[in-house]
Amino acid sequence: MDSGILTRPATGSAGIARGERVKPYRTPAQKANVRNLIFLAVIVMVVCACYLLVNAYPDKPQLFRYVLSLRIPTLAVMLIAAFAIGGASIIFQSIINNRIVTPCLLGMNSMYTLVHTAVVFVVGSGSIVATNSNVSFAVDLVVMGIAATFVYSYLFRKTGNNVLYVLLIGTVLSSFFGSIQSTMIRVMDPNEYDTLLTTLVADFNNVNSEVILFSLLLIAALVIFLRKELQLLDVITLGKDQAVNLGVDYDRTVRRLMLGVVLCIAVATAMVGPISFLGLIIANLARQLLRTHKHSHLILGAALMGMLAIIAGQLISQHVFSYAVPISTFITIGGGIYFLYLLLFKKGGI
Amino acid sequence: MKITNLKKKYDGKTVVDSVSFTIPRGKVLSLIGPNGAGKSTVMGMISRLIARDAGDIHFEDKDLSHWNSKELAKKLAILTQHNNVQMKLTVRELVAFGRFPYSGSRLTAEDVRMIDKAIAYMELQEFEDRFIDELSGGQRQRAYIAMVIAQDTEYVLLDEPTNNLDIYHASNMMRTVRRLCDELGKTVILVLHEINYAAFYSDYICAFVDGKIAKFEKVEDVINKETLSEIYKVDFEIIHINGKPLSVYY
Amino acid sequence: MFSIKKYRSTIILGTVLLILSLLSLFVGVIDINLHNLFSGNGMELKIFLLARLPRLLAVLCTGVGMSVAGLIMQQLCMNKFVSPSTGSTIQSAQFGILLSLVFIPSLGLWGRVILAFVTAVLGTWIFVWFIQRIQFKNTVLVPLIGIMFGNVLGGIINFIAYKFEVTQQLSTYFVGSFALIIKGNYELVWLALPLVILAFAFANHFNIVGMGKDFSENLGVNYKLVLFVGLTISAMITASVVTVVGQISYIGLIIPNIVAMFKGDKIRGSLIDTALFGALFVLAADMIARTVISPYELPIELIVGIVGSILFIAMLIYKLNHGRKAIRLGKAKEGSCCG
Repeated sequence: MDSGILTRPATGSAGIARGERVKPYRTPAQKANVRNLIFLAVIVMVVCACYLLVNAYPDKPQLFRYVLSLRIPTLAVMLIAAFAIGGASIIFQSIINNRIVTPCLLGMNSMYTLVHTAVVFVVGSGSIVATNSNVSFAVDLVVMGIAATFVYSYLFRKTGNNVLYVLLIGTVLSSFFGSIQSTMIRVMDPNEYDTLLTTLVADFNNVNSEVILFSLLLIAALVIFLRKELQLLDVITLGKDQAVNLGVDYDRTVRRLMLGVVLCIAVATAMVGPISFLGLIIANLARQLLRTHKHSHLILGAALMGMLAIIAGQLISQHVFSYAVPISTFITIGGGIYFLYLLLFKKGGI
Repeated sequence: MKITNLKKKYDGKTVVDSVSFTIPRGKVLSLIGPNGAGKSTVMGMISRLIARDAGDIHFEDKDLSHWNSKELAKKLAILTQHNNVQMKLTVRELVAFGRFPYSGSRLTAEDVRMIDKAIAYMELQEFEDRFIDELSGGQRQRAYIAMVIAQDTEYVLLDEPTNNLDIYHASNMMRTVRRLCDELGKTVILVLHEINYAAFYSDYICAFVDGKIAKFEKVEDVINKETLSEIYKVDFEIIHINGKPLSVYY
Repeated sequence: MFSIKKYRSTIILGTVLLILSLLSLFVGVIDINLHNLFSGNGMELKIFLLARLPRLLAVLCTGVGMSVAGLIMQQLCMNKFVSPSTGSTIQSAQFGILLSLVFIPSLGLWGRVILAFVTAVLGTWIFVWFIQRIQFKNTVLVPLIGIMFGNVLGGIINFIAYKFEVTQQLSTYFVGSFALIIKGNYELVWLALPLVILAFAFANHFNIVGMGKDFSENLGVNYKLVLFVGLTISAMITASVVTVVGQISYIGLIIPNIVAMFKGDKIRGSLIDTALFGALFVLAADMIARTVISPYELPIELIVGIVGSILFIAMLIYKLNHGRKAIRLGKAKEGSCCG
């Protein structure tokens, strides 16, 4: 069987044209996207500046420096967390090919807090693994990577990618992890439940800024390590059949991307605690604003949206409610309503 | 492409059993048969989407499993029914994916030429910047075919391409299939439910019953009273239109 | 012979429950033995009457009440995955408790329970009204919506609680636990019993309504009225349990399903078994909660949450892998009942 019968030179023609790249074709929508992204980035910068400077007493240098020394690490944490959640949510949605599902809705963040608690539970709260944030974070990441891969690949295999089942089981899993974690804390110290909880689980008023450097390095490493897979995301979006048809090693690519997602969620949860609906909101807002499938744009958009949401939310929480209401409360209410809206009226792919 | 002794089991139940046939080049071949006869599974195995339990699929000079997936993507394209893309993707971007096996995500001038040609061939110019989730079923199917054309393969596999299309779009789809073969010289293999589309538009028909090949012949030799009754277990009448046999059943 | 076979599961469940109940009376921080109890040891008798017995009764009422509430909701909504915890009834009741804490704290327990009744009933009606209006009734979509409804309501509760600084109080009222049950503060939960009896009286009506609106109109049953009564009964049971004990999830969801696997879906036939099994389940969970880190106690909600979510996930996967059939093992496995 050689290709003698072929009526025209069908294959191999790409070789001729190699090297002679053309400027990528941009639709008007894509040009608008670039504009939108720049606009969004500017707003984020403004909000960051507000966050640092509002009520910072710039007229009293010592106080000013003190305020900044508190706010800069917190700001860094929020920026990193927003990037991690935004990126992970977009990647995850594209793999699942569904806009309603995000890793946090499936309980990945509760899983991380459980893993962290379990590690402290096993090694004891006095050991080096528990007292050194970076060491404990590293251990958590390893355990989390293994456990999440196992649990979620089982979940997807068992449900045959039926989105509603995945979502419902994920929601139940989330409360399951929460119950186990809570039980562990109570067993560790029945008297000091609340204190132990705050030391084990971060939140926005109590961010974990000790792992900033580690997280930054980890995310940078992930981006470099996964750069090929990230480029393939555009093709993965077409679904398994089409991706395989186009010559992509689908299973391997998805496995590696999933590991990236898990680690990103771990980073975000370690720094700001579990916030279930943020990813859903920012990923969908990004998809609505940037009507494109280009993942470089989408990930950037979601990350910027996340930064905007968290920092603006924190500003409101601090200066309007004077820290009384944590922003995760707003995110739960808004995100829950948004989720119901997507589920009922958009039917996003069910 | 030569297929020998193909087998597949799901949960201990044999769905494809000892299937062997050779795909005639440059022709349209339709796989027909009742539900669950294994035709889509055979198609899946030919296109490497479904792993086979046993058997050989000899393609050009080596077995399908020895092919590099990306090289194979330049020779063989498959379009399944599951094309429910939720993401915002324009027609042009979708068609451009057909060039992925050649150039990755960075298009060359040759790629752009092929994309333009494919879009023009399927008469999609006016839709090319529309999002595919905003198109009608028929238009979307055409966009996918354009992507397959841009993929520029000799073999084109279509799994129930007329599914969910109304009569107008379905018969247009079948005419397109014919043109892919006649004008572009492609070998087209389809899974079809409608016997008459298979009868009217294909060169060969391969009929499956219970995971086995019941009949693999030229159209005229399959579309007759006896064979069809045997396959589908209902009575058929055969009439001829434009020299092609068509079946009537009730 | 026939009748014994028919009631076999009920008899077994009843016996096991009785034994476990007696056993539970003697589990606790302070050892109580039978001899001292009847020889007039005042201290032990006091503990027995003030704490142990009330606790047992509260546990039994909770188990019976929540599982029957779940059974009714599942029948009426024609969905095996609807229950007080997946139909936002629990959160609605909690919302009432929150309102009473914020606006009428002086009314104490009575204020809490009355507002909890009102909001639980309203919340359940709204939820059911809402899901009946959804065009595409996917079995799994309904509990998903219910859980999310509950989440949103939980968020609003949190918001108000933070705003009015009652979060501390709430966390003690909300996490289901029998640790604080003593004579004098738990009697409200007895309300579950007359409601369960009422449910039994209406059982056939619920069954008919569960077959659908047209079906029940055809048989001359007032669909709306029965739906209304049934939902109100299960919301009130839930509200009384949530007020006294706190949130106990999954009981109403999994117990009726497990019983239906063996007994089928006719309410009359399965109501007593469901009630007994629910009581047994909660009692077992409570005994675990009391002994695991003795002398401390775990909130029972944690035990129920862990076991319940595993069972729920198992149920979902089972249903998914066995097509559209209801969760039912069928006659073949009837012999292995309760094993």
